[in-house]
Amino acid sequence: MKKYLKNTWDALWTIFIGMKVTWKHLFIPSVTIQYPDEHRPIPDRARNRLYVNIDDCIGCMQCQRACPVDCIDIKTVKALPTDELGLTSKGTKKALWVTQFNIDFAKCMYCQLCVFPCPTECITMTKVFEFSEYEREKLLYNFSNLTLSEVKEKEENYAKFMEKKAAEKAAAAKAKAAAEAKAKQESEKKDNDNKPSSEEKDS
Amino acid sequence: MELYDIIFYLIALTVVVSAAIVVGSKNIVRAAYSLLFTFLGVAGIYILLGADFIGVTQLMVYVGGILILLLFGIMLTNKVYSVDIRRENSYIIPSIVIVGIFAAFLIFVMTETNWVTADPTFPNTTVFELGKTLLVHYSIIFEILAIVLLIALIGAATLARNDNKER
Amino acid sequence: MYDLLTNLLGNQIVAYVIAASLPLIFVLTFVLFAVLAERKVSAHMQDRLGPMRVGWHGIIQTLADMLKLLQKEDIVPEGADRPLFNLAPLLTFLGTYAAFAAIPFAGIYVGSSTAIGIYYITAVSGLVVAGLLLAGWASDNKYSLYGAMRTAAQIVSYEIPTAIAILTMVMVSGTLSLMKISDMQTAHFWNWWILGGPETGIVKFLLIPFMIITFLIYYISSLAEVNRTPFDLPEAESELVSGYHTEYSGMKFAFFFLAEYANMFAVSAIAVTLFLGGFHSPIGYLGHSLGIDWLIPVEQFFWFAFKGTALVFVQMWLRWTLPRVRVDQLMVICWKYLIPYAVVNLIIVGIITLL
Ligand code: SF4
Ligand code: SF4
Repeated sequence: MKKYLKNTWDALWTIFIGMKVTWKHLFIPSVTIQYPDEHRPIPDRARNRLYVNIDDCIGCMQCQRACPVDCIDIKTVKALPTDELGLTSKGTKKALWVTQFNIDFAKCMYCQLCVFPCPTECITMTKVFEFSEYEREKLLYNFSNLTLSEVKEKEENYAKFMEKKAAEKAAAAKAKAAAEAKAKQESEKKDNDNKPSSEEKDS
Repeated sequence: MELYDIIFYLIALTVVVSAAIVVGSKNIVRAAYSLLFTFLGVAGIYILLGADFIGVTQLMVYVGGILILLLFGIMLTNKVYSVDIRRENSYIIPSIVIVGIFAAFLIFVMTETNWVTADPTFPNTTVFELGKTLLVHYSIIFEILAIVLLIALIGAATLARNDNKER
Repeated sequence: MYDLLTNLLGNQIVAYVIAASLPLIFVLTFVLFAVLAERKVSAHMQDRLGPMRVGWHGIIQTLADMLKLLQKEDIVPEGADRPLFNLAPLLTFLGTYAAFAAIPFAGIYVGSSTAIGIYYITAVSGLVVAGLLLAGWASDNKYSLYGAMRTAAQIVSYEIPTAIAILTMVMVSGTLSLMKISDMQTAHFWNWWILGGPETGIVKFLLIPFMIITFLIYYISSLAEVNRTPFDLPEAESELVSGYHTEYSGMKFAFFFLAEYANMFAVSAIAVTLFLGGFHSPIGYLGHSLGIDWLIPVEQFFWFAFKGTALVFVQMWLRWTLPRVRVDQLMVICWKYLIPYAVVNLIIVGIITLL
């Protein structure tokens, strides 16, 4: 009987204590962070979306090789000797047009492995992590600052340059071949000087 | 009063239709729920007649008590789906005869009785008189009934008790 | 009220319909408010913020949720008993709403001026059990059925202490009419039944502790009757998905939700009427002192809603304080504690009132 009464009392009393606790918590300022409006500070070394400072990129493709999931896709075109590409901020001379610098963030796993090998430190991690999209294609970022027509132009230029060079080379080769042939001829001529023939006259 | 007539016929319709479903339904749960509406309708008729206490008691005892118990029993029974309510038509002639006699008897009583028509003014509250009757005039019977119920309860509890020594 | 409306509209039926739907308006607004309040209270008790997006501090979140529920597809499970499945939410809400017919909201408004109000309310709550059982059964889902069984067992068990507590009140007040019980506790808060009611002298002081016990018994068992934590076994999420309304979606689910919250207010309203002075103001009326007659019903309604909502708030408070009890504990609380206390209390109060 005594235990019974004590049980009852304990039940009521502990409920009362519990209610006191919750009552106190009712007035404690909440710990909620209203996410899209408020952000928690992002740690300095957090790995988020990549950014490429294309002005500094020398198109060496180190990052592409380092990426374990092959999500970086770089295409370069060699610059013409007449093109003025400028220097990177570190003073390295640029020799390539970076016509395409795609990073597919749908594939990227934010491992940061591409950041370290870059000789000019132009591919870096930013603090942006909210960039979800409705279409997967939109996650394919192109960092190259050349327009399509420019790319075409560069490619054509290069192609022309190469053609020209090839032509020059061919011409040079021809000239050389001609010269060689001439020299040969001349030496042959020397050999044949003593005994003239009818063929020679024709040629 | 016209309104009361309309309400009466609506309630009566509910009672008759749901009672028919109770008898005719093959699904035992559906039958039980039709019974609910029958009870509700009967309670409604009581209340319409000014017997509010009886009406509410009807609700309390039948809907709140018996029906719930019934449903509980049905739903706790194993394999309710396979329970086929027997609806054989083998005793069709005897049943028609009996029902006919009974109906004739009822109609006879209904037409022949000298119905005492009550005062159209409703008694304001029936509870007071009822309580007095139960607890003053018939208090001994009331108490004996209570004891009978108590004995029934104790008996049920004893029967249901698990007499295992281990526990 | 009926006479007033009949005179105003000139038609009895229209007057009846309007008078009958007045509580519905109140219930709907109350539910809109209470659902939000529950979420806010729970959030702040757990040091969260709760809904914040829709409107200022999420004030119209419930409205948005309701619109969402309205648009949802109405799914009936394949094995379900379709007519019964559709009937269940209606029956549940019917049982809840029927109770509002006898609750006096203000001196001039009570749905039915029946003399047996409180008895009627205890009776119609049986319909809720029938509805919930039906929901569990018709869903053709074992979790629903478990939930329904638990609800039925729980409500039927806890109806006993509730009824005995109500009986105690009926005994001391000598009437079954909620209107009369309210009117006994008029004027000031020391006339509330929980503080001994309109009795005087030694009887009043003897009554107070037992009235408090009665109130506690009523309140605890009413919590179980409306399936609130710590007695929310019928819809225990961690065990039964969500009990009897697992299979319901859209509007039918909304009906269950509505019934649950309306029920919360109904039991609180009964507690208020029985113990806490009903619609009467604890400190006297402004309308009286200013001599403005129409202000009094407004004040009465305000006090009624205020007290009821306060008790609903305590229900929420308890919900976010206590864990759920086990099934055996549930039955122990009812049969071994509440019922003996209620019976002893009834006898003692009976003796005191004879003094
Ligand atoms: S972070 Fe990793 S996965 Fe992403 S681009 Fe760099 S190397 Fe590739
Ligand atoms: S490693 Fe750096 S410089 Fe080289 S291609 Fe990548 S981004 Fe450009």
